[in-house]
Amino acid sequence: MFDFLVFSLTVAGIYALMALGLNLQAGYAGLMNFGQIAFAGLGAYATGIAFSLGWPPLAGAALGVLAAMALGWCIARIGNKLASDYWGIATLAIAEILRTAATNEDWLTGGANGISAIPSLFDGLGRPWSGLAFLGLVAIVVTVCALLCRRLGNGRFGRALRLMREEPQLAACMGYDLRSLKSRTLMAGAAITALGGSLYAHYMSFVSPDYMLPAETFLLWTMLMIGGVGSTAGVLIGVLLVQAANVLAPFARQVLGFGSDQAGALRLGLIGLILLACLMWRSEGLVPEKIRKMP
Amino acid sequence: MFQFLIDALLRTADLALVTLGLSMLYGLVKFPNIAHVQYAMFGAYASYALHAAGAPLIGSLLIASVVTGILALGLHLLVFRRLLRAGPSISMVGSLAVSMLAIALMQGLAGSFPRMFKLGHTAPLTIAGAHISYTQFYFVCTTVVLLMLVTLLLFYTRLGRAMRALTNNAALANASGLNAERITFLVSFTSGMVAGLGGSMLSLSTGAHINLGNDLLLPVFAAAILGGLGNPMGAIAGALLIAVTETAVTNLNFGFLFGVDMKFLPVTYINAASFLILLLALLFKPYGLFDREVRRV
Repeated sequence: MFDFLVFSLTVAGIYALMALGLNLQAGYAGLMNFGQIAFAGLGAYATGIAFSLGWPPLAGAALGVLAAMALGWCIARIGNKLASDYWGIATLAIAEILRTAATNEDWLTGGANGISAIPSLFDGLGRPWSGLAFLGLVAIVVTVCALLCRRLGNGRFGRALRLMREEPQLAACMGYDLRSLKSRTLMAGAAITALGGSLYAHYMSFVSPDYMLPAETFLLWTMLMIGGVGSTAGVLIGVLLVQAANVLAPFARQVLGFGSDQAGALRLGLIGLILLACLMWRSEGLVPEKIRKMP
Repeated sequence: MFQFLIDALLRTADLALVTLGLSMLYGLVKFPNIAHVQYAMFGAYASYALHAAGAPLIGSLLIASVVTGILALGLHLLVFRRLLRAGPSISMVGSLAVSMLAIALMQGLAGSFPRMFKLGHTAPLTIAGAHISYTQFYFVCTTVVLLMLVTLLLFYTRLGRAMRALTNNAALANASGLNAERITFLVSFTSGMVAGLGGSMLSLSTGAHINLGNDLLLPVFAAAILGGLGNPMGAIAGALLIAVTETAVTNLNFGFLFGVDMKFLPVTYINAASFLILLLALLFKPYGLFDREVRRV
């Protein structure tokens, strides 16, 4: 039971990193990125590949972050002339192309079997402590990233992003380079998300193309919409709520005697229901973004 | 060669009906409805259930598609109409939630194991050396007939003209006395019905399964965007283009590039090919291949 709690919290922390990355783009800048999970996948795969090359974990994470930032820059560049929903579908397509490539390029990624036996970071500490140490590491990284995102969001950069979201033409008139704002946001979001992906690979000691399923991106979006787009505290609350629904499913399986299909359906249905209810009756989320009013 | 044409045509039939509905509805509501592909899945399960309960095949297909149409209309009335007030991006995420709920419902009711129709085996039809099963043949025929009907409806009736007017300029159409709301209801119903029919006919050969909708999602969106969202005729052309590319990519022999006799791309690269076209299209023709409008910023 204790182990399960530690496991759920660690996974929630890792998802929180990815959701924070998405919040930078979708929340502050209003970019409909539906391919967010590609960044996490790059982080995870970079860790796996670095491990098979014999590199230290830190080098793997750095490789992942750099690769994700490069991808973020590219995605920002195609979004030049596109309306936001078209751009969202383009990002979805890019994520799917990457996933297809990861499934097929056996020599690099191990194909559909993925890369396994990636060492967890604190194996030397013994049974209960290794998990706790990992949870501590994740908690520290999440805290640092959350504070950083808040700082970024409330500072000059965040104000520029909000202006770009609400009044792009005004922002352009005031001398902001929209394209550079967009690519910097995407690169920052990509870096945080890739860090989450890299931690996930270490925690599961395994990487597979299934990490990059579009459903994962949709899960991140759910977390964002439930908690409140554009607010760091809201994102963390959303992550906890969705993770609670995730944790509930195995319990329902034991208590109500559900089969694995029904338990999966219950999990998905709960998340869908919460998301829909939030959108219909509280579209700004549980913790709405605070807009600063000029007196 | 002829087999190639048949394969491409079959794939077009898979995509065309769902794409058509998606594109038609987009013209009126102006948000890409992700749940649209789940109507196909719903239709597939509904017709399977009816057929398994003993209804004749044609009857169960028809009833299932009407039921799917009613579902689509109900969702529009209860959910999307409300969400649309908050803007297109909220509606798009909302359609995502609806699509999750639809999958959860079906998985809870029917399980994740595919349900195959009990149709009995018939020898495949052979036309000029190419093989095609009877169900597939009827699928293609139905699709062609339906597409022709929709074309007639769009270009030769008052209703069709009203629809095109609304798509082009909703404010002007409203001002000239068209009942936008009623037309949107009608199009919701029709697009749901057509998607349900497309899904059920697809499931005749693949079986009704949970991922039927998800597997369609990206190719259908690729086709709809290629044709220009909101342009029904473009959607059909987009479906044709995606189908031809997918078939070509898997059937082309790349051996000459590598100096060996036979070298094919793995079948799993099918989807990547269509997304690549989609990306190229978005890069160079962002509003679809058939866009003639001039946009001013």
